[in-house]
Amino acid sequence: MLELLLHLTILSGINIILAVSLNLINGICGQFSLGHAGFWAVGAYSAAAFTVYAQLPVPPEVNLIIGCFIGFIAASVAGLIIGVPCLRLRGDYLAIATLGFGEIIRIIIMNTDSIGGPRGFSGIPKISNIFWVYLFVAITIIIIANIMRGTHGRAIISIREDEIAADSMGIYTFKYKTMAFVIGAGFAGTAGSLYAHYTQFLHPNGFTFMMSVIILLMVILGGLGSITGSIVGAIILTLLPEVLRLMGETISEWRMVIYSVLLITLMLLRPGGIFGKHEFNPLKYFKKKGEVA
Amino acid sequence: MSEDTMYFFWDLGQYLLNGLTQGSIYALIALGYTMVYGIIKLINFAHGEFYMIGGFIGYYCIMGGMPLYMAFPVAMLGSGVIAVIVEKIVYRPIRSAGRIPALITALGTSLFFQYTGQLIIGADSKAFPTAIEQKMWFFGEIMISNIQVIILVTTFILMIFLWWLVNRTRIGKAMKATSYNHDAAELMGIDTNKIISFTFFVGASMAGAAGVLVGMYYSTVEPMMGLIPGLKAFIAAVLGGIGIIPGAVIGGLTLGVAENLVVGFWESTYRDGIAFLILILILLVKPAGILGKNRKEKV
Amino acid sequence: MSTPILEVKAITMRFGGLTAVDNFNLSINKSDLVGVIGPNGAGKTTIFNMITGIYEPTEGDIHLNGKSISGERPAFITQQGIARTFQNIRLFKDLSVLDNIRLAGHFRADYGLFASIFRTKKYHSEEKRIKEESIEFLKIFGLQDKQELLAKNLPYGEQRRLEIARALATKPDVLLLDEPAAGMNPNETKELTELIRWVRDKFQIAILLIEHDMRLVMDVCEEIYVVDHGELIAQGQPKEIQNDPKVIEAYLGTEQA
Repeated sequence: MLELLLHLTILSGINIILAVSLNLINGICGQFSLGHAGFWAVGAYSAAAFTVYAQLPVPPEVNLIIGCFIGFIAASVAGLIIGVPCLRLRGDYLAIATLGFGEIIRIIIMNTDSIGGPRGFSGIPKISNIFWVYLFVAITIIIIANIMRGTHGRAIISIREDEIAADSMGIYTFKYKTMAFVIGAGFAGTAGSLYAHYTQFLHPNGFTFMMSVIILLMVILGGLGSITGSIVGAIILTLLPEVLRLMGETISEWRMVIYSVLLITLMLLRPGGIFGKHEFNPLKYFKKKGEVA
Repeated sequence: MSEDTMYFFWDLGQYLLNGLTQGSIYALIALGYTMVYGIIKLINFAHGEFYMIGGFIGYYCIMGGMPLYMAFPVAMLGSGVIAVIVEKIVYRPIRSAGRIPALITALGTSLFFQYTGQLIIGADSKAFPTAIEQKMWFFGEIMISNIQVIILVTTFILMIFLWWLVNRTRIGKAMKATSYNHDAAELMGIDTNKIISFTFFVGASMAGAAGVLVGMYYSTVEPMMGLIPGLKAFIAAVLGGIGIIPGAVIGGLTLGVAENLVVGFWESTYRDGIAFLILILILLVKPAGILGKNRKEKV
Repeated sequence: MSTPILEVKAITMRFGGLTAVDNFNLSINKSDLVGVIGPNGAGKTTIFNMITGIYEPTEGDIHLNGKSISGERPAFITQQGIARTFQNIRLFKDLSVLDNIRLAGHFRADYGLFASIFRTKKYHSEEKRIKEESIEFLKIFGLQDKQELLAKNLPYGEQRRLEIARALATKPDVLLLDEPAAGMNPNETKELTELIRWVRDKFQIAILLIEHDMRLVMDVCEEIYVVDHGELIAQGQPKEIQNDPKVIEAYLGTEQA
């Protein structure tokens, strides 16, 4: 039981990084991407390839940090390659193009024998643990939150609000869209590295379009544009399958059906997600209660 | 001509034929995508599921002893009716919320049918009953089966019918009017909701027909069968110019042929990759598609 | 005579076979108040879109402070000194009034992405400067009490005012107003007239106004260009324009009919 709890905590952490980074692209910048699992895969495979084939003679933790860095760089390069052509597209076209790229990444991995191809990539050392995962969760959140509160972050948000108006403010919208896309992809890569060195095994089928949808669901559940929302969304969707499993075999089988109904009802009733664009700040609530009392 | 070059041309002919067969299936599904997009600007992700549903209705009808010529229209009707229900319950309320929420809703609907299908019918693929004995003919080294002929002929007939429906009937005119301008169409006394329902019905029944044809062609049906062909049909629609009906046909056939050439002359694992590659190329070079006109956003 | 701030030289815009704007000329000096009028579909907005870089003219050239800007990107043109408002108000609706103004200072913010990640000294000093300057602007426009409100929660007239304030906060040489009186009642239009004059006097900048509300233009502009079917049909002071038979035929005539 304790082991399961630890496992879920680590998975939650990885999912938080994925959700927060996707939120930077989809929620904060308003560029609808459906290919996040692709960047996750790029990070996971490149970091794993590093530790399997080119590990340095340093303590494993240092290798992990280097791996996370490599994952970030590889995924953000992939983000740049995909983002520059795709970000000229708008709305649903962008969604489809990123979906396409996500699948292409997976198909390329499937056809690359040195990283396991269709057999999967095994023999990755287990060097990531709860400490490292949450260290990177903290780093991700702090960096993205800090960017958001500066002038670059405001520029990124202004694109979501009104791209034409942002242009008329002298903001190079394409540059900032690309920036958001590349940073978001990069952190997904870091999450990939942490994931690879935790599960020790990667398979292309773990990074399908469906995974992109699940990450998207985490973001939407919490609220497009809200970082705290993404954190809550990631935790809920990590725990939900386990909770459903506790409720019995049949309900657990209905997991994906429940997800899909959740997605539809959310859109129909509360398209902004639980928190909408706003941040959830527990301190604020204490203050308010204090004032009333 | 040397023997090698001879074989090259026989192979080429065979791949082209297989490609056209595959492509006409894509085209049938793409028609629904393009019609729905044309009228409400929605990428209906669940469209591939209407195709799957058609395949299964066909499967159960034939298993129940129904002859093919009856099972076929029943499958079309069934897919169409389910699409109309989905449109009414799910898409209609979300229509005013913007394109991205509608897109997500469509995504959810697609997942819903895939996984509900897996739970009710089972995830394993079912052997499609042989409704007709398969026969083969040879033209030199090119092999053609009677099922391929049926697919090509049926697709051709359905497309002619659709062309007639859209261009030569009152309801077709109303569909065009609604897709140009909802409000204006409404003011002209067109019940746009009814027209949208009808569009879903026609589109989904085309996909349902494709489902039965594919069941016969590959002899299997399974709940996830709609995912990849659905995406590819969408790509076909974008390739031809989304919203443009002849574009869906051109896009579907092009994609089918391109895929079969890649599989035949190169590597079968890249089969799915080529479609996405084509998608990205077309989006970058001419987002409006082969038949589309590029438009600039109005300020 | 000094060189004009903005000089539009024989620009032409063709969309396929359609000529939306044909050989249009315009020049504005510092602190001029100029209007472009014409019936709907006359090509006014196309002229605007060419000046602001949304379209590249098929022919002709546009000079700002003696430098060619035609074909440049909209953001670049704003940075060079042309700011604009939109016919259907384009504020950042879900951002605060203050953030709307702060965004106008974005391209002058002198710190990089890393400074904002690591919260350097430069970040703090620049953010402080941008905030102070923005609040100054809000004070000038009487919006300082509403700086925390979301832009979408302002009343219509104040949204218009915020949009003008936001455009001015980019510190332009020329301000372009696209049908600012659209959707306003006569009272609000009157206030707007005063606001426009006041802005010109206060900031000493050139203002170019597109409008089909004749009264506003006649009231506020010193020089008027009349376009119809993409062509310049008259140019002059409000009085001259009012009595020009060509204008009456093209514009007033149709309106009175």
